[in-house]
Amino acid sequence: MSGTPVETQGSLSERLFWRFTVLVLVLYALLPVAWLTSLSLKPSGDLTDRHFFPRAISLEHYAAVLTDPQFPAALGNSLGIGLIATGISVALATLAAYAIVRLRFPGRRAVLIGALAVAMFPPIAVIGPLFDLWRLLGLFDTWLGLILPYISLTLPLAIWTIAAFFREIPWELEQAARVDGATRMQAFRLVILPLVAPGVFASAILVFIFAWNDFLFAAALTSTTDSRTVPVAIAFFTGSSRFDQPTGSIAAASVLVTLPVVALVLAFQRRIVAGLTAGAVKG
Amino acid sequence: MPVPSARIYLILILLALSLQGCRRASEAEGPPTLGWYVFKEQSGAFEQAAEYCSNRSQGRYRLELEYLPTDADLQRELLVRRLAAGDRDIDLIGMDVIWTAEFAEAGWILPWPDDRADRVREERIAGPLASGSYQGRLWAAPFTTNTQLLWYRTDRVSAPPPTWDAMIDAAESIGRGGLIQAQGERYEGLTVFFVSLLASAGGSVLDESGRRVSLETAPTRRALEVMRRLARSPASDPSLASRREDQCRLAFESGNSAFMLNYTYVWPSARANAPEVAEHMGWARWPGVDPSRASRVTVGGINLGVGAHGRHPDLAFEAAECLVSEENQRLAARLGGLPPTLSALYDDPEIRDVFPFAEVLRATLADAVQRPRTPLYSDISIAISRTLHPLNEIDPERDVERLRQAVRRALNSEGLL
Amino acid sequence: MSRFDRDERRLGWLLCAPAVLAMLLVTAYPIGYAVWLSLHRYDLRFPDRQSFVGLANYASVLTSEVWWRSVFNTLLVTAGSVAVELLLGFVLALVMHRALVGRIAVRTASLVPYAIITVVAALGWRFAFDPTTGFVNALLGIDQAWLSERWSAFFVIVATEIWKTTPFVALLLLAGLTLVPPDLIRAARVDGATAWQRLRYITLPLMKPAILVALLFRTLDAFRIFDTIYVQTHGAQDTESVSILAYQALIARLNLGLGSAVSVLIFIGTLLIALFYVRLFGSGVLGRAGGRR
Repeated sequence: MSGTPVETQGSLSERLFWRFTVLVLVLYALLPVAWLTSLSLKPSGDLTDRHFFPRAISLEHYAAVLTDPQFPAALGNSLGIGLIATGISVALATLAAYAIVRLRFPGRRAVLIGALAVAMFPPIAVIGPLFDLWRLLGLFDTWLGLILPYISLTLPLAIWTIAAFFREIPWELEQAARVDGATRMQAFRLVILPLVAPGVFASAILVFIFAWNDFLFAAALTSTTDSRTVPVAIAFFTGSSRFDQPTGSIAAASVLVTLPVVALVLAFQRRIVAGLTAGAVKG
Repeated sequence: MPVPSARIYLILILLALSLQGCRRASEAEGPPTLGWYVFKEQSGAFEQAAEYCSNRSQGRYRLELEYLPTDADLQRELLVRRLAAGDRDIDLIGMDVIWTAEFAEAGWILPWPDDRADRVREERIAGPLASGSYQGRLWAAPFTTNTQLLWYRTDRVSAPPPTWDAMIDAAESIGRGGLIQAQGERYEGLTVFFVSLLASAGGSVLDESGRRVSLETAPTRRALEVMRRLARSPASDPSLASRREDQCRLAFESGNSAFMLNYTYVWPSARANAPEVAEHMGWARWPGVDPSRASRVTVGGINLGVGAHGRHPDLAFEAAECLVSEENQRLAARLGGLPPTLSALYDDPEIRDVFPFAEVLRATLADAVQRPRTPLYSDISIAISRTLHPLNEIDPERDVERLRQAVRRALNSEGLL
Repeated sequence: MSRFDRDERRLGWLLCAPAVLAMLLVTAYPIGYAVWLSLHRYDLRFPDRQSFVGLANYASVLTSEVWWRSVFNTLLVTAGSVAVELLLGFVLALVMHRALVGRIAVRTASLVPYAIITVVAALGWRFAFDPTTGFVNALLGIDQAWLSERWSAFFVIVATEIWKTTPFVALLLLAGLTLVPPDLIRAARVDGATAWQRLRYITLPLMKPAILVALLFRTLDAFRIFDTIYVQTHGAQDTESVSILAYQALIARLNLGLGSAVSVLIFIGTLLIALFYVRLFGSGVLGRAGGRR
């Protein structure tokens, strides 16, 4: 961000206005998280008291969620599937982005535009065919059955963000290394990769969030604790009876899956912001 | 660079494939485990039944419960997807009565072998038995059943009304505290309501073959007239259009109503949650449409089907037969308040203790009506409930034809509905 | 062509090939299969009755009032949420740009909605508006079954969408805002331009590219809305979106033929939206529109 913040020049009332706005915005962003947290801490009997803040604190819902077999399994699936998909997607995207930025070959732009088209693709359009294929190939309700679509659908994001980071690299360094006798591979590994690593990491976080967040594929292509991921597990949580919605357990599970990712995002917020807006404006 | 990168792809592909391989390790030694997929029953009656049968099998099989989601639509959605994918882990299914035709037609469950089917049929009440049968064969054994009765306030009504018209008249004359609780929300329960009214008026949704629309004009119009009258009556609950079974129960327990059409679970619930209401709670057969004809009410409940792709179909049939046996029916009734499907049990003092209304319940079940028996039931149900909702806008003249159209489209697998 | 050029070309293709193949695997091939399915009666509930039916599935979708209602619902949610997001996102971006104190706090907080699973956000709002568990009714002192009525349900759905995606819009707009030279603003101020004039004649024109990108991606994103509606109403009360409709046909009813026809129509709808933006703003919008799923 360049330039002096305009606020320093404003009047007192203007300053107060901005501060008030900041406060409102922060509260607005945190409201549902605070609400779910509060709900998850209410004892069962207080769940319907309709108060925003809990009157008494209880950890019973957390205990219930963690001892229920559904949730820990889903957590494992989400982490495993998300990490593997992220690793593969980012690896493939790095190679492609390197080629697109660094090499001259016909079709570079086509790859970028194609990736963009994939990014705009409505996932619902392939759910039916994938379900039919997966059930014939035995991929239904497996990790691989989710990893594959996640890789494909996150590649555009990964390629565009990583390419944007590649563009900022001083390529003279690579040339210097080549002149000094390094092979292309050595130059890439020893010189370029360390430079672009932060960008790759940023897009890895974005890709992971995509996989972690997905509901549609996971709802359609999984069905048991073998591969069901967190969003689906939470949405389909079985209550203790036919008529009873397990609100407390759902809230507790929601908080448990939200906090780590929020922490991750906050820890790397600079890079994520860079990644989210990379290419969008610089083009 | 080309050479190493090719190696990377190879590693990635192998990694991905190996993930596929290490899924689902071989089963441990010991008796085969049969997965029984069923909704989570609160009282633990299903667990106890499973344990009872596992023990009685003397080590031939072990039943393990797998819980389905709370919501009935979700249960079906999940099962159907796995069955279509040929899942081999589904041995036994606790099936809603409306799934029989669909699952049978699609080849997802196995028909019961004749000898076993004959044993299951013995002593079963007709309505529940028919709900597990399709095109002359038994596909799912009746486990527990259910149907609606008329619940009324004995302190506000002298005798239960025999017909809908009589009931609405009575309710209107009561005024305050005279509301009628029925299911008018746009969901499957509205279809159930309509099917019961239609059958009580002497009509049916589909013809005998289950492939053509019936909806005879006179009875259909009669059923629609009753719905319209109810919805427009001051005695109908203002929230009729968003009422499901449980909202009706809560409203009745709050004391503002004189009549309610609902399943038997409202009885133990009222006794626990609203003793002052339960004290004056009477029951009777669902009201008829014509004074000359006894009402026919839709049957519900859970039947046991055997998954077509399971590894041990014979053992699964054996286990299912055990689960629907008298001991377990008694257990489910006593612990979970789930009405049995064996006729004789309704004379049992212990059962009569749980269901003081056993006599009227058995009589209702004996000539209960089935929801349309077609694999397309869920489509037809959506078509019906969409056409009829909200009840106060029904126009009997016009809507008989609209209803026929909608059901016909659904039958042709055309409607998106 | 030199040997070097040839090598470079081969290497370029080789490096891109896996990514391209992976993208095609889950888009091009399945969409082709979806087109094939949509021309058939293919219902997994009737495995024996599969046949070629030509365009009959499309005819039955396009003549169904359910389809058109879901199209209307989807467009409604799209228009409603995108418009508000753009407005709110702009305010948020301005705050992040201008506020000295709390700028970091706003940026940090605004990333929270982005990082939260959509299903979780949708559940959070559902519980908040629920008459028995929620605080909203208690706070407003009313008794409203928000999700049991059509328009109030839409309100909750759109509010959830807005909450979830405004930060993303704000970040895109902020990136555009930083491209506006502060000197220009200062000069205008000295010349006596009002705040509105500065915004209207300097800031907004310079931000146009960023606004277009945000608009394009949010429109496409909102058009495929699924998670929020599935969790909050499951499509009840006439709140079905086109994606919900397709999911119901495909996955809940396993009518792959009919469902695929819906899918293909959604795909075409997406193409139309993209074309509309390209027509409206030139293909430059595509060039700038990277970096987004």
